[in-house]
Amino acid sequence: MSTTRAIINARLVDPASGQDGPGGVLIEGGIIAQIGTELDLDAADEIIDARGCILAPALIDLRCAKEPALTPDGETVDTLCAAAMSGGFGTIVLAPNARSPLDKADGFAGMSRGLAQRGVRMLSACGATQGLAGEQMAEIGLMVRGGAVYAGCGDRPIRDTRLMRRLLSYTSQFDVWLSCRPADSDLSADAVALESDWSARVGIPSEPAVSERIAIERDAALAELSGGKLMIDRLSTAAGLDALRHVRGRDLEIAATVAIAHLTLNEVDAGGLDSAFRMDPPLRSEADRMALVEAVTSGEIDAVISDHRPTPFDDKGEPFALAIAGTLSLETLLGAMLGLVHDDELSLLDALRVLTSGPADLLGLPQGRVAVGAPADLILIDGDKPWVCQPDGFASARGNSAWSGRRFQGRVLQTIVAGDTLYNP
Amino acid sequence: MSRAEFSYDFPHRHLVSVADLNPVDIQIIFERAAHHLAANRTPDKRSDVLRGLTVLNLFFEASTRTQGSFEMAGKRLGADVVNFAMANSSASKGESLSDTARTLAAMKPDIMVVRHSATGAPQFLAERTGLSVVNAGDGMHEHPTQALLDSFTLSQRWGEVGGRRILIVGDILHSRVARSNIGLLNILGAEIRLCAPPTLLPSDVDQWGCDVFHDLDEALTGCDAVMALRQQRERMSGGFVPSEREFFHLFGLTHERLEAASPDVLVMHPGPMNRGVEIHTKLADDPEKSVILDQVESGVAVRMAILELIGANIRKEAVA
Repeated sequence: MSTTRAIINARLVDPASGQDGPGGVLIEGGIIAQIGTELDLDAADEIIDARGCILAPALIDLRCAKEPALTPDGETVDTLCAAAMSGGFGTIVLAPNARSPLDKADGFAGMSRGLAQRGVRMLSACGATQGLAGEQMAEIGLMVRGGAVYAGCGDRPIRDTRLMRRLLSYTSQFDVWLSCRPADSDLSADAVALESDWSARVGIPSEPAVSERIAIERDAALAELSGGKLMIDRLSTAAGLDALRHVRGRDLEIAATVAIAHLTLNEVDAGGLDSAFRMDPPLRSEADRMALVEAVTSGEIDAVISDHRPTPFDDKGEPFALAIAGTLSLETLLGAMLGLVHDDELSLLDALRVLTSGPADLLGLPQGRVAVGAPADLILIDGDKPWVCQPDGFASARGNSAWSGRRFQGRVLQTIVAGDTLYNP
Repeated sequence: MSRAEFSYDFPHRHLVSVADLNPVDIQIIFERAAHHLAANRTPDKRSDVLRGLTVLNLFFEASTRTQGSFEMAGKRLGADVVNFAMANSSASKGESLSDTARTLAAMKPDIMVVRHSATGAPQFLAERTGLSVVNAGDGMHEHPTQALLDSFTLSQRWGEVGGRRILIVGDILHSRVARSNIGLLNILGAEIRLCAPPTLLPSDVDQWGCDVFHDLDEALTGCDAVMALRQQRERMSGGFVPSEREFFHLFGLTHERLEAASPDVLVMHPGPMNRGVEIHTKLADDPEKSVILDQVESGVAVRMAILELIGANIRKEAVA
């Protein structure tokens, strides 16, 4: 990209530097060349007047999924990319899951190169164990050489403590995060809900919140022993948050992510047993949700993730307790997050930090910030524009959304990656 | 100070651990081994310094090369050598090790060469029987004659091992060869480097007086010798690395990777070797770099030196 573009008169919000004020950027060769209110506009081939709009770094998602290639009507790389662009994402990471374990070293480098050809920066994590079965290590070293940005355990925790120790130890030599769902395998076996008044009354298999706390304490102890980097994948309870605070006092590298569903929904949303609200981890109590939002403000959460999960049937085809877990969320994440800002639960800077510089710093990425020399991955947002979530209008190939019918305030106007506008409805 | 300037004789009746040796002991072993190495290359290999002594090869773990090497060493020195393959013997019928020891001691051998899967078994047998014991490998603990033959091989090339940079790469966690080599090379004043995935390194390895690496290219920089170790599957429980091919890509020795090392780098392997896992097959066979067969040759000479020196002390005690 050789043209020089300027974006002026915006409200520039950059969590990395803490800046929130009038400003703009000058983009040269896909890189941010100047920042501020006094840009050298003579050099610009194009000037975008962003009066009344928020200019922020493009969002980064550490955990999303497509469907296996050739799945009829499935979420492909193309539809996933389109969903990411319209959601304001400049960088997304494919994470392993049972349908797409990303555990084969053969062809991994080729896949990474293919993903890099898309407008949105698509990266891939790798599966940490063969078939994500939690029994044998996958060829993590070869996949990291092939471009994997972290190793993930998928949806299920690693039950075998000795294997977890070895995984943390083995991944430490590559300086990559091992991302693992914090749950005790036996306490959480077959659970589809939190152990609570509601789940007891409706009689569905449930897990106690301490399951998360036990797992975090175990895995943190192993990370301390082995020197590995532990990423708590989808923290969801206040009990887990207590454990995180407790272990952070020790000498270990630990990061925590929270899925947007657990920041904005709770078990009451699932009260009607609508399969759309079947999540993994299950939706928690309102007290848990509020504790997680406060932890975003206090900086204890490193990244908020979409955990975007297309499923074969829009209504999931089965009743709540049998339904596939997960929801689409790339296209609704920003709207849901801005909802917390409008409700005064979060500041805009804190809300954007866990979606930009937070995840970028975990992976050592140069983007996710408005800084001279950084890649020009940016979004323009109308922070107040009202809209209604209608999955029929999604760029995603599927329609399973937990936010279907919700009213949002705030929408992406443009998604810019490496200086190119990819999305401009 | 050379040995001629003061009076010091090899004092040991056993060889259980390299930690029992001091630099002069090692020098004495190497001098005798050099003598035997030369003699072994002539048609007149046989001496009778051990005539009248019985060497018992007591191998509780399967071995071909070490056992053969000790047998040849004993026979070339004129000893009576008896091989007890203990893997299929009374031990498998439920006899305790102390009973086995007493039974064998009653046959009045003079030296027991012991290999056992349990750490401390040679020491245990020495204490129970009063016989001279040479440790031919105990569990994941020590293999002192292997370390001595490795350093002897290097000293034949270099004169001195002290001051050289030597890398050990591979399964260090389960390796008695690595433990004995680290001990011996430390005594000799070499700079030791270790390279392995973290899962194949002991947890307190940073206390061992070695520089520890996980990146082979970095570890090889400026090395004068590199020793590859195989993965000891028989001692492993569960997986420590994902696959053999990943191990080869990350930790396998190849000609290309050796370019970071000293131009005259020597490549060693204690055997048995897994080609295409810890070492590229062409490198293993490269006579310019590989001293793997020299190690085997040195093995007989070093074991002759040890049996000879221990035998002399047994005779001295008998006279006294």
